[in-house]
Amino acid sequence: METLSASHIRIIAYYWSRYIVRSGSGLAYLMIALIFGLFSAQILIMPVEKFIQQKQDVSESNLQNIRYSIINIEKPIVQYVLGVKSFKEVGQDLPNDLMNTMISKPVAEDSMGFDRWTSFLLVKRPALLSAIFLILFFGMPFVVTYLAFNQLSGDVQSRGLRYLLLKTERGNIYFGRFLGTIVFSTLVTALIIAVITFYLAMKLRIYPAMSLIGWSLHGFMALSLLMLPYIALCAMISASIDSPMLSFVVANLIIPGVLITAAIGRIAWAPLKYINYLLPWGWQNHLLHPSPIHLLMALLGCLVYTAIFLMPGYYIFEKRDL
Amino acid sequence: MTDAISIKRISKKFGQVQALSDLSLNVPSHSIFGLLGPNGAGKTTLFSIAADFLKPDAGNIEVLGIDTRDISRLRGRLSILPQDARFQNNVPILEQFIFFRLLAGSTKSQAREEVLKTFESVGLQSVIKNRVGSLSHGMIKRLGIAQAFLGNPEVILLDEPTAGLDPANARQIRDLIKRLQERTTIVVSSHNMAEIQELCDHVAILDHGRLMLAGSVEEITLAHREYNLTLSRALTDSEEKCLTALEGVREIKMLSQRTIIQNNGSTEYTFKLDLSDHNVNQDKVISTLLHNLLDMGVTLRGFTEGRNLEKQFLEVTDEFKEKGIK
Repeated sequence: METLSASHIRIIAYYWSRYIVRSGSGLAYLMIALIFGLFSAQILIMPVEKFIQQKQDVSESNLQNIRYSIINIEKPIVQYVLGVKSFKEVGQDLPNDLMNTMISKPVAEDSMGFDRWTSFLLVKRPALLSAIFLILFFGMPFVVTYLAFNQLSGDVQSRGLRYLLLKTERGNIYFGRFLGTIVFSTLVTALIIAVITFYLAMKLRIYPAMSLIGWSLHGFMALSLLMLPYIALCAMISASIDSPMLSFVVANLIIPGVLITAAIGRIAWAPLKYINYLLPWGWQNHLLHPSPIHLLMALLGCLVYTAIFLMPGYYIFEKRDL
Repeated sequence: MTDAISIKRISKKFGQVQALSDLSLNVPSHSIFGLLGPNGAGKTTLFSIAADFLKPDAGNIEVLGIDTRDISRLRGRLSILPQDARFQNNVPILEQFIFFRLLAGSTKSQAREEVLKTFESVGLQSVIKNRVGSLSHGMIKRLGIAQAFLGNPEVILLDEPTAGLDPANARQIRDLIKRLQERTTIVVSSHNMAEIQELCDHVAILDHGRLMLAGSVEEITLAHREYNLTLSRALTDSEEKCLTALEGVREIKMLSQRTIIQNNGSTEYTFKLDLSDHNVNQDKVISTLLHNLLDMGVTLRGFTEGRNLEKQFLEVTDEFKEKGIK
């Protein structure tokens, strides 16, 4: 294996992240990520906003009731997403009329039968933002493939890499582009979360600004970390396949494929749910867990999975004909 | 003269196709070395292995005494104009070249200066702010050559540098290559025999991944030198026999006989000389030949050097086909 150069990786990452937006994949990612992130937030925020507009009285007690109503509505869905409750149990807990529940049935926290994790996300942290994070955690791994599928394959196909290969090591190109992709993905994630947080803090005003900022910083870091293994998986695919289109298709078969196989497989045989652990699907929500141990394990998981996907890609790229 | 490139028993197979077969070759330092061969001869594959784009199945290549499997040690000393590589379409040209120089360790201002200087030498100053997509084929080719010359490498591999260019552009590129010869070893692959004969001092002919012929252009063409002579009339059989018997004359072949009256039946012949015996002097052979023609009452109306390398190329590649080597 070659000696890697930190300065070359930095230069390549800088140029890659700077010009990726002008390439088709960078632009597509920017648009899709913004549309997905903001539209998801809009779906959750809109009913609350509508309700607040209807209410003339926006006193603190009324705001508290609104917060409890949001918790009440989100609780069963969040518990299902976190795996605390089954689909059947959640079905029984769901309020019949969401809008009506929000208006007429504020529920006290202690009467809601919370587990620790759900309570942390919905009660101790701004519930609306937590729900948005869970949607982003679910959707962004799909969206990031639009950015990451073409880290190498396009230039392998067009032989554009040949201009670079005598100027730096293959490993520097591989890791530099991976890093550049992460930088771009992180900037877009920051933009989405900043817009949502700003809107919640300045327009909706149902949560204290400091609480929103603190939690959005946590969510931003968690989501940025979560993108690492998925981008690394795409780097491996992109380093192995010459065609960018095929690389895109393979990434888009693997990432949802694992999730769907596990979801269908568990119906036939429960242990098949562990297929989810082939990718971070199985544990990624623990990045929002209240327990520092869970959080640390999830963080380590992200790094380990990133290394697991990244290293074979590096080896393949190093040895292959270009 | 030491060798800048030493190719040792290189083999490479793509599926069932043997692209290179046990090929060995040396490229002398500070030479312009021509690599000739028909399509599929293995020229691009050989270049790609020398630049470590492709991994050989067997053998190795040393450039400046360094094995190309350890390509990092040749960084900045070896560069290439790949045949079919594309520049980034979404990045301005100047930025791409500055990026290349930053990787070589230059500061941003140094990089800019070096790039502008190189662009000036290839006549591309006017396009530095353009995007690659807006350039013509000829401009892109020159851009590739500029990229290969950037940073003054010691060995430059140019894979068909004038392919697809108009004669004026091709001439500019040939002149550029000649100017650089003093300080650099340049290997040029081409289908254009006249170009290789004009440009190169050494040449190798490949066919089907095998080395058919290699040596200095002088050596190769000397053994089979030929001249086209336009004579005032056709030679008789006995005259032809007499001339063929002269020392150093291998063969006389009539190329065309003009029957137009005002040309008075002038006839074009190819005289193939055999100068492989170093005791035979080319000038002496030509002089004797001309004296004999005058003695026979034949006037010389035209005298041109034949396309020796092309003949050689066709001979060795045809020989290959006849033998049916696969």
